[in-house]
Amino acid sequence: MNLSMRWPRTLASRLSLIFLIGLILAQALSFGAQYYERYESAKNTMLGNLETDVSTSIAILDRLPANERASWLQQLQRKNYGYLLSEGANGNPMNTDTPEAPIAMTSIKDAIGKDYPMTFTDIPGPRKHFQVHLKLTDGSPLTIDVRPSMVPLSPWLPMMLLGQLALMLACTWLAVRIAIRPLTRLAEAVDTLDPNTHPVLLDEKGPTEVAHAAKAFNAMQARIAAYLKERMQLLAAISHDLQTPITRMKLRAEFMDDCVEKEKLWNDLGEMEHLVREGVAYARSVHGATEESRRTDLDSFLDSLVFDYQDVGKEVQLSGKSATVIDTRPHALRRVLVNLTDNALKFAGAAELLVEKKADGSVSVKVMDRGPGIAEDELAQVMEPFYRVENSRNRSTGGTGLGLAIAQQLALAIGGSLTLSNREGGGLCAELKLRG
Amino acid sequence: MEHVDHILIVDDDREIRELVGNYLKKNGLRTTVVADGRQMRTFLESTPVDLIVLDIMMPGDDGLMLCRELRSGKHKATPVLMLTARNDETDRIIGLEMGADDYLVKPFAARELLARINAVLRRTRMLPPNLVVTESSRLLAFGRWQLDTSARHLLDDDGTMVALSGAEYRLLRVFLDHPQRVLNRDQLLNLTQGRDADLFDRSIDLLVSRLRQRLLDDAREPAYIKTVRSEGYVFSLPVEIVGAPA
Repeated sequence: MNLSMRWPRTLASRLSLIFLIGLILAQALSFGAQYYERYESAKNTMLGNLETDVSTSIAILDRLPANERASWLQQLQRKNYGYLLSEGANGNPMNTDTPEAPIAMTSIKDAIGKDYPMTFTDIPGPRKHFQVHLKLTDGSPLTIDVRPSMVPLSPWLPMMLLGQLALMLACTWLAVRIAIRPLTRLAEAVDTLDPNTHPVLLDEKGPTEVAHAAKAFNAMQARIAAYLKERMQLLAAISHDLQTPITRMKLRAEFMDDCVEKEKLWNDLGEMEHLVREGVAYARSVHGATEESRRTDLDSFLDSLVFDYQDVGKEVQLSGKSATVIDTRPHALRRVLVNLTDNALKFAGAAELLVEKKADGSVSVKVMDRGPGIAEDELAQVMEPFYRVENSRNRSTGGTGLGLAIAQQLALAIGGSLTLSNREGGGLCAELKLRG
Repeated sequence: MEHVDHILIVDDDREIRELVGNYLKKNGLRTTVVADGRQMRTFLESTPVDLIVLDIMMPGDDGLMLCRELRSGKHKATPVLMLTARNDETDRIIGLEMGADDYLVKPFAARELLARINAVLRRTRMLPPNLVVTESSRLLAFGRWQLDTSARHLLDDDGTMVALSGAEYRLLRVFLDHPQRVLNRDQLLNLTQGRDADLFDRSIDLLVSRLRQRLLDDAREPAYIKTVRSEGYVFSLPVEIVGAPA
């Protein structure tokens, strides 16, 4: 149950884990089986030898005259066991029937137990060590001193195992990398996917599945670009075809005598015209500005914008200085600020612009008003196209619902970000952050 | 007999050109309406006009091509007012680069067109510019500055863009079109009021001081725009036309 919680998050680590555990288990199993087989056969040979050797040695010692026995001990000494012509050391008596009894003990008992009664004692110590006590036919004591030990492992075996482990790690890493890389590349491509700019085509080479995914991605990119283009063309066509009749109607209206009807007609035409313009502007903003970026003196840029408003009698003020030259698309930047300022003028009748240079080199331009502001839960939605806040539904101030959407799109297009917030003491603050 | 200005209207939409023609006629101008470039050329062969209103979007030869043709032929002094259908910055810029004197975005109001026509006529009559800016050479160079006449901003000597407000651009353009010539406040006011004439209410002195700031000109010892006591202002540096940067 807890497995899912501990399951690593990345595909790479999951795959690595599966590969590695699988390979190590398989390796351990085959190593274990081989080792067991080798151990068994070695043991059988060894015990066979032990039985013959011990019975031969005892027979020799038994038949030798007592005074010659000591000189033979050296020759009968083996690596793991030897003979003592004494009672041996004291130890704990051992039982041959328990399963823990060393196999060598049973072998010795099987070999000579019929001819010589014997006792076993265990000598305590860090290594397994036991003695077999028996009496030769002439009554003199004999002790077989046994230090059983496994066949030692070759010193190169652990190195070999480490080498294998390293090989497995390397193979796992390679396999996972090969499997994951196309996926990472695809994710990166999707992340940076911007149908407005030139499409970045994925390499359609590599394994079949990868090539297939890359082709599918490239085709999707082309389709998105085609849809966007189609939408642009549709909007442009509608707007162009509407502009001619609207122009005619406006001209005709001007021949009418001044009356309320003329005024109303004039306003309706103005609204239609505005919607057509904003619609095209929005489509263009989504489609990305084709405008070239250029080095722009920000202070004079804002000054001129504010003066243009002041020159037509609008209450727009600028405070702060940035003393910055930024790389930007001036028309797009202007459009963002004009839309924000127009919005402030529409809802509050006045706008204050504040420019600040931040410590990290970025620049913030705030467009603030003292209007009704926007309810907190609507702040995010107002930047969506055609969204209008409740109190602006009234068509005389409602506008098209595209102004902020255009500003938002263009802000993104020039590498900036636009955030709205309500000011302390009432009113809205739209902050445009630009990289320095 | 008093001279009545003759306006030639070129627009492929019959209703629009007739409505415009009638409106202008009603307001005391003489008008001729034609549907395309071919008719325009034929008419201009026989009759000189005072101003041409040219639609940009037309089948066949479009307004931009016709404007360029006018500027390079014997009618290069005839003012041109462009009607553009799209409200797109690049179209506006192209229209002006092609040598149009002003432009109006469709849909427009007839009274606005009338105001623009009058402003262009007044401007070109009062002081025809010394320098004719064209598409390929649209930068006016003076001192350490260059004025881009299509994008309507200044470029300093390392290519940084310095923006100008509409009024600042118009005033600077008047100075650059008539360098080293004293202009009085009335002349400046008239020449500057190209667009939005009714809304423009800044005094010339304020505008001049703003422009000096923009050009980093010292007001006490100005290098660019000098004050001529009791007369007006003079732009004291020579101006030359240079090609657009590649």
